[in-house]
Amino acid sequence: MISDIAKNLVELKKEFVKLYDGNSQIQEFIPKSKSELFPIEELHLDLLHEFATKNPIYYNSFEKKIGSVDCIVYEGDINKYWLNSIQHGSSKAPFSPTWIMSGYIGTMFAKELGYSEVIDIGSGDGRIAYCAKVLDLESHSIEIDDMLVDLQHLLTSTLNFHPYCDDAITFDYSSLNLLRPIFFIGGLAQMGGIFLATGVLDKVNLISNLKQNSGWVFAGTLSQKYTPDPKNEAGWGTLIEKNNLKSIQRVSLPAAWTFHESDDVQYIFTESI
Amino acid sequence: MTSSKDISQMFDSESKKLQNLIDTANSKTDMNIHDIVDTYYQVMNVSSMATMLKQQTYSEPSHLLSKIQETEKMISEKFDSIIHPNFLLKISLSIQEMTKNLQSGNSGEKLKEQIESDAKLFEELRQTMSTREFVEQYENGIFHD
Repeated sequence: MISDIAKNLVELKKEFVKLYDGNSQIQEFIPKSKSELFPIEELHLDLLHEFATKNPIYYNSFEKKIGSVDCIVYEGDINKYWLNSIQHGSSKAPFSPTWIMSGYIGTMFAKELGYSEVIDIGSGDGRIAYCAKVLDLESHSIEIDDMLVDLQHLLTSTLNFHPYCDDAITFDYSSLNLLRPIFFIGGLAQMGGIFLATGVLDKVNLISNLKQNSGWVFAGTLSQKYTPDPKNEAGWGTLIEKNNLKSIQRVSLPAAWTFHESDDVQYIFTESI
Repeated sequence: MTSSKDISQMFDSESKKLQNLIDTANSKTDMNIHDIVDTYYQVMNVSSMATMLKQQTYSEPSHLLSKIQETEKMISEKFDSIIHPNFLLKISLSIQEMTKNLQSGNSGEKLKEQIESDAKLFEELRQTMSTREFVEQYENGIFHD
């Protein structure tokens, strides 16, 4: 069922791209209510809309029927966060969010795979950690950029997804008392993701019970604009092999930067061999 | 098949284009990003031709060799030593200025139209930053040759 929702989102995004005639830097939609294509609990949809309406990156919203689905379109601008993030010496990749619906679907997979905690690494505005809380998973959001963490704190009044302003590579994960966590790594392999993922994997693998119990989700791309990995997996194959991981799920979902791209982000879910 | 005369004429023509671009760079203080990038591409184009032609020196007329040497001297003495550092400085200062302006305009609530108008300035900044990366790559090439 979750795979179907993911496919429906990708198909509806194609319709949205044809319909959209605005000028915003980023834009996305959330279905207004539960439907055949999106059999999502109304409460969850309400919480996703609340994330968008409270989030200062979005400055405009309007109703739009996309295909057969009534949606709310959110228009946003992340330029000032981009400007801040590129001036941050430790930031490995500029902030470019996945869609809220993509965050929700990604965390649905995490829940279905049996994970109990979501750790959103390089979390931006914390949307993946927020979506995990919508699904009653425990979550933690780690972001090095103080401006983005300040933004996250504005959003925790709805659901506390535990934002930390810290460097994910030096963060003390043992302090979270994790049991069965899944780590979502922000950033493409070719955009600093390998460095970030390697640092976090090395740190987490030092904690006794976590090496075997942890899942890892990598955001990859099939775009020819980026250098492919010789072991494939949308840019992550070499890292996956080197860390004795295996791919257990793969899903394509839209993000802000794939709006004008034919291929969406490839989320690769992995676990220890 | 291309004759030695054709090759010589082609090199001559490309060198003249480069000479014109270098003269423009020397005289104009407000070259835009597009013109700057064009100048680098022509430098790289002529440099590559010179390298390739020098490898075939045994079959080339001596006046072509003289032309190659003359053009390489122009690239080294005028472009690499004077124009390129000026371009890099100009681009870096431009990035600093744009960044400062965009940061100072970031406070307070803005209307949709203002946000979307500012987004164009951010896009211009991103393009200028990409140009700086390109120019820095050229510089790395000079020092690693």
